[in-house]
Amino acid sequence: MLLGELTATARRLALVGLAKNTGKTVAMTTVLDELAARGRRAGVTSVGRDGEERDVLDERIVKPRIRLHPDSLVATTDLLLRTSGVEHARELETGLRTSLGRVVIARLPAGGAVEVAGPASAHDVGAVTDAMLALGAEQVLIDGALDRRAGASPAFADGVVLSTGAALHRDLDEVVRRTRSAAELLRLPVATAVGDAIRLDGRLALDGTDAEIAALLRAHPEASHIAVAGALCEPFVEQVLRAARGRALTLVVADGTRVFLTRRSRDWYARQGLTIAAQTPIDLRAITVNPLAPRSHRLDSPTLRRLVAEAVPGVPVLDVMDPGYPRTISPMPREEPTPAKRPRAPRPGTSGCASRCASR
Amino acid sequence: MPDLAPAVDLGAVRPYGDMLDDGLLQLSFTLPVPNSLAARRAALDLAERMGLARAEVTHVQQLVEGYTHFIVLAHCPHAIDFTAIQGDGLDIGYMSHEEVEEFAAAHVGRPIVVVGASTGTDTHSVGIDAMLNLKGFQGHSGLEAYDSFETHNLGSQVPNGALVAKAIEVGADAILVSQTVTGQDAHIRNLTELVEILEAEGRRRDVILACGGTRVSNELAKELGYDAGFSRGTYPNHLATFLVREVAARCSSES
Repeated sequence: MLLGELTATARRLALVGLAKNTGKTVAMTTVLDELAARGRRAGVTSVGRDGEERDVLDERIVKPRIRLHPDSLVATTDLLLRTSGVEHARELETGLRTSLGRVVIARLPAGGAVEVAGPASAHDVGAVTDAMLALGAEQVLIDGALDRRAGASPAFADGVVLSTGAALHRDLDEVVRRTRSAAELLRLPVATAVGDAIRLDGRLALDGTDAEIAALLRAHPEASHIAVAGALCEPFVEQVLRAARGRALTLVVADGTRVFLTRRSRDWYARQGLTIAAQTPIDLRAITVNPLAPRSHRLDSPTLRRLVAEAVPGVPVLDVMDPGYPRTISPMPREEPTPAKRPRAPRPGTSGCASRCASR
Repeated sequence: MPDLAPAVDLGAVRPYGDMLDDGLLQLSFTLPVPNSLAARRAALDLAERMGLARAEVTHVQQLVEGYTHFIVLAHCPHAIDFTAIQGDGLDIGYMSHEEVEEFAAAHVGRPIVVVGASTGTDTHSVGIDAMLNLKGFQGHSGLEAYDSFETHNLGSQVPNGALVAKAIEVGADAILVSQTVTGQDAHIRNLTELVEILEAEGRRRDVILACGGTRVSNELAKELGYDAGFSRGTYPNHLATFLVREVAARCSSES
């Protein structure tokens, strides 16, 4: 099935990458191409900045730019629109400021490549998304720069595409493990019976002491749920685990974008009797994989797809650059990076690896 | 005296060596080969492969057995259209300490509350101290010395959650985060976590978020969803200029 088909019913679609160079921009371009092929008008914006020609961390990596089809809408800054040199008609001044200029919604009559920098906060991104829908976009794509995922919150997006790949780690199993952890967080189980939960004010969850948290649990001996209004950070999860002393508890957050675990996985805490659940589920529509880590290594795409699909059951896993992926229209030509070493000519019988390396 | 300095063509800027537009530049690099005539040849070939003309080796030195260091002078044939880059918001005119105070008095009218820390596992407080502490560095006082700022420096190894909690507690206008340790891009993960926690708390709109560090660029900061990033060469008055202008702009767009 095409990525565009899997995501078609999400009018507000967020794209989240687990690291740089996991193919998020390629996934976005694929959805845009497939939308255009069906004659549907797209809108694009971002949390943070994306679409620049070169990677900000490694100048040698030329990134695929976001090319918009004719009549698309884009929410980016006036400054970036001007420097793009692309013909555009301003549809709406949003009144939102960023350090790259004022955010405007523009229509591109002839399409073109534009650097996209939406509002700085996810809340404002939500507002410009709604504005683009009101202006006639049939689907709005929200790009989360780097591994930003705030835009994936169900408050702002109806569906999410997660991009992962070899850039995460050299080791295939480690890529799969990290992808599973990230998908687990997005797909938190939905909490039931939150009515009698202990409700926390923000400070205690962000910066409470062990003593405060132990006292809180003692004060509510019957409670089985703790509702955390904002961010659920790992130090707090560890404190609750220590204070719980074996008591089974469920930590309830608004949605999966509010959870920040870096040391241990959600699974590990669940095995200690500490469940993390969400009030609202996130609809993970698809996972895309990029088997190539630029200037480093590559993994076997079919194996990577199979293992990720096993680790995240129920979610389609695609490699949109794989020769087996059905393309509705030919992909746009991309600027080729100048390789430091000459790419070796593909040996007879190999599956066109060199050409794929060059195009990422 | 007539002005003898030739006019610079900002539409085609080249490196300056001995005279304007000669394109002369100097390279410094090491090749993993023994010091020899062949090594010299390799250095010149490398410069040529870089697209440089008339390369000369001006210094050769063996570093250790099998490694040779070169200084090469060469001419760069390329020019940059500086006029196309200017105006991209890359440079702002910085105010001095006194000018910041005057501007703040005129346009803000209250102390700007700033909370700063070096977060995550990073033990280095040198960056945040240079920006915030009274003594500052290299003769430039930190924001603590400014009447127009109220500063809270939480030091190093501060969890991102604790930094956000403090910002909420004191009603911060700005959060400054410093990252010195960048091994395996730890700074990226840490900076991302901070902005995501702010989002999860629903506070991202309420604060100016800026980061600093040796490997933090303004471009990286923007990509992460920060309002600004400050790198090497930043003095406290640069930061103060950015903050005071940003707060003033936010005050005026609210009213």
